[in-house]
Amino acid sequence: MSARALAPWGRTWTAHLRQRAFRTAPADRDPVVLRHSRIYILPTRRGFMLIVTLGIMLIASLNYSLSLGLGVTFVVSGLVAAALLHTFRNLAGIKVRPLAAGDTFAGERIAFSVELMGGAAARSEIMLHARDTRVVSDVRAGAALTLTLLAPTDRRGRIPLGRLTLSSDFPLGLWRGWAYVHFPLEGIAYPKPEPSPPLLPQGTGGADAFAAGRGGDADLAGIREYQIGDPPQRVAWKAVARGAGWFSKAFDGTASGGPVILDYAALPRELSHEAKLSRLTAWVLVAERTARPFELRLPGIALPLGQGREHRRLALSTLALLPADA
Amino acid sequence: MSGTATRLLNRWRAAAPRADALTATQARWLGALLAAAMLPQAIHLPIGIAVLGLALIALRLAVTWRPRVRAFAFVIQLPSWALAVFALAVALAIRQWYGYFLGREPSVAFLFVLCGIKFMEARVRRDGTLIVCLATFLLITPFLATQSMFAAIAAMPAILILGGALDVLERSSVSQRRDWRAPLTQTLTLLAQGLPIALLLFVMFPRLAGPLWGLPADRSARTGLSDTMTPGMFTELTLSDEVAFRVDFDGLPPPPAQRYWRGPVLSRFDGRVWSAALPQLGSVQASAGGRSIGYTVTLEASGQPWLFALDFPASLPRVDSESGISTPPATFLGITRDQQLIARAPITQALRYSMVSNLRSTYPAASASDARANLRLPAGNARSIEFARDLRSRTPDDSQFINAVLRFYREEPFVYTLAAPLLEREPIDQFLFETRRGFCEHYASSFVVLLRAAGIPARVVTGYQGGEINPNGGYMIVRQSDAHAWAEALIGGVWRRFDPTAAVAPSRVERGLAGALPAGEAVPLLARFDGGWIKKLDLAWDALNHQWQRHVVDFNHERQRALWHEWKLDLFSPWQVVGALVFVAGAWGGIVLLWLIIRRRRQERALVLWDDVCRRLSRAGLPRQPHEGPVAFVERAAARWPQFGIALKAIGEAYAMLRYGNLAPDSRERAALVTTLKHAIDALPSPARLRHANP
Repeated sequence: MSARALAPWGRTWTAHLRQRAFRTAPADRDPVVLRHSRIYILPTRRGFMLIVTLGIMLIASLNYSLSLGLGVTFVVSGLVAAALLHTFRNLAGIKVRPLAAGDTFAGERIAFSVELMGGAAARSEIMLHARDTRVVSDVRAGAALTLTLLAPTDRRGRIPLGRLTLSSDFPLGLWRGWAYVHFPLEGIAYPKPEPSPPLLPQGTGGADAFAAGRGGDADLAGIREYQIGDPPQRVAWKAVARGAGWFSKAFDGTASGGPVILDYAALPRELSHEAKLSRLTAWVLVAERTARPFELRLPGIALPLGQGREHRRLALSTLALLPADA
Repeated sequence: MSGTATRLLNRWRAAAPRADALTATQARWLGALLAAAMLPQAIHLPIGIAVLGLALIALRLAVTWRPRVRAFAFVIQLPSWALAVFALAVALAIRQWYGYFLGREPSVAFLFVLCGIKFMEARVRRDGTLIVCLATFLLITPFLATQSMFAAIAAMPAILILGGALDVLERSSVSQRRDWRAPLTQTLTLLAQGLPIALLLFVMFPRLAGPLWGLPADRSARTGLSDTMTPGMFTELTLSDEVAFRVDFDGLPPPPAQRYWRGPVLSRFDGRVWSAALPQLGSVQASAGGRSIGYTVTLEASGQPWLFALDFPASLPRVDSESGISTPPATFLGITRDQQLIARAPITQALRYSMVSNLRSTYPAASASDARANLRLPAGNARSIEFARDLRSRTPDDSQFINAVLRFYREEPFVYTLAAPLLEREPIDQFLFETRRGFCEHYASSFVVLLRAAGIPARVVTGYQGGEINPNGGYMIVRQSDAHAWAEALIGGVWRRFDPTAAVAPSRVERGLAGALPAGEAVPLLARFDGGWIKKLDLAWDALNHQWQRHVVDFNHERQRALWHEWKLDLFSPWQVVGALVFVAGAWGGIVLLWLIIRRRRQERALVLWDDVCRRLSRAGLPRQPHEGPVAFVERAAARWPQFGIALKAIGEAYAMLRYGNLAPDSRERAALVTTLKHAIDALPSPARLRHANP
């Protein structure tokens, strides 16, 4: 057989092994039950130091012929060995299910929830670790526990949960048992909205669509109570300064707030691709908040005029998943 | 405190708090662990070091317990360099105390104090790890001093607390749980599960035939015989109750008059001190004649390179002849021409060996050169020499001369006493003709001098004479107070034993020290006849200790080999044994895991029972809806079959309680509820009958 014929086989073989040992690909199906083939155990730092100490005690006892010294050394060794089994038992049989992945804006934390079921045995000090985030909890016997990992994001797009590590060094902290689980669970991070975007483009197209800052106040319909998320420029600062409380300026959506077109191509050329997406994201949020229907035009994709939560989600997702080099 | 110091302390405090800082609970557990590990060691240390180490622990614990007491608070805020300086000072003090530092005892003493110092500066959990390791090592150091049962028992609390401390250290702050009992209970479980492994290792782990590195001589003096004899030495020995060795006889023990345990043979004399000549290896001389007797000696560590045997050895010492192999102990070197058993190195651990002796008072001399070496006399003691030559000229032969000398001891007013006057110059002359009060070394020494002066080769033999049978266990105890010195003379090519002490005090040989000494002299309590209940208690205790010593402490290289031989393990190759051990260890793991799983199954029973109820009701025509909780489901079932309503409701409530109630996994309530559930289920008819049952 030629080497060429062997090579792919060899590659799949190592890939298979790597997958089995380290679960590098998100190939686990819901639910995963931790069995011996998945669980690894090694001494912790403390366990390693204690084992070294026991080794020194063993050599000293042998040298000085201390039968009792050997006895004590072996009794403590028995304790360490039994702790190993308990560490294994603490992890073995745990059922892991991916529940949900959240959505968020880039730069904020994204929530992944995972359900742990310990079966009939209580599990102690189980640590869940993924994406540099960890959470520790006990799992009560017979209970299903939902744990939420709040992972930081740094970019827009799909955010996979990645490889999940379940670990525990219960009961004595001498052994660390761990298992890898890799679910194809993905959340989504929308582009980070521009902190203080210009006002929405006016009207339904035309050259003056970006007459930002002009005539905005003319459409003022009144003021309403401040809600979290209202942009600072809409806050009725005069009222705040008077001490009357927090209010936002409300605009009459029907008067001047007709449908808006949020067009990528119409944005100033000096803005970078990501900055344009950030501004569009901010506008989507403003449009949604002020209840104005909007149309989103992006390179290669366009959303028809629409309104409402679903439309907003669709728009944000489209912005999040737009290729970086458009 | 000055302003600068306060500022410095404040800066230090600001730096101290960390995410993995030791909690008060963790500090308390570590303190308890250290205290439990250090106490058994403390009694073997100089009082100052013991108090210092324990005081450091107590101080830190006091601060942890009462954080409000500011007076001591500075202690845990001392910077590390200050403690390092302190540790250095302690090291110097220990060096000063012992006179050396690189040895076993000073090292242990330093380690002891180091534990206290490390505990003082323990702030994070990583410090806890080091403390746990130090304390664990400290568990075995008391055994360097004693391996008694007490020492073994004293180590147990620390082992238990070790598990507890590890558990508490491991706990992250999210589940700082429970009272102090739970970690200990858990440790007990783990220890119980680990015990088979511990036993297996203890029996199977290969012991060393000799030490890996040289054992530095223990510089603390041990009581016991030495290879010299100075006036007054035996007097000191007789004040000690300590056990020299124990003997198990194969048959009846020899009569008291024949219990001469041969030790160092001293043939050099400088006028005051007797010392041993360089040993020359020879062979067993007394192989026939006399009553032959087999016995097993358990020799306590003596720090001296010789073994003891009854006069006269008829074999070389053997290790565990009953098991099939019988080889001399690894430390055994050989028998000298003087019939003394000598070892390669000082006996630093208890040694058990079997011997055969022929009970006789003579043995043939190996060579004529013995005679020359045993005739030399130093200058001095002229009067004794004159006396001997004069007496010899008046007796027809050597034997009659010796009898005349013994008669001299018997008939002149010699007194056998521990309170011998100090002999300044010409000690033999002074003793024989002036003081006439002495102990065995005075009689043996003067006797040999008289014989040598008369041209008869003679020498002093030291060892033990006597021994007491312990009625609990039927073995003999020979104590340091049985130490004795006697003489041997070479007459007609045969070495013959003479005991001049017996001429003065015949009861010394027959009844021991207490029987021979005048009333009112200080005899150790346990060497007396009238020790009363204290002595009885001591004998019972000694019997227990003897067993402990035989089966636990003396389980060394030889005993292990013997046991393996008995179990036919030496028929297998080493890798087969290792394979078997791995198999046994694997089996152990399987059994323990099975145990854990069975316990889990017991908890699962509620789920299984409920599943069964649902299946039966489903077959009876009433399947549970996915959204239905247990209580709702049994309500619906009770509406369908009101005649079984009570049982059904009981099932639902018990199951809901088991499943969703906040019950501890192993609680009694849980067990009771499972029983209720089972009884209620038993009260239900079969699904087929249920299906056709009418309301």
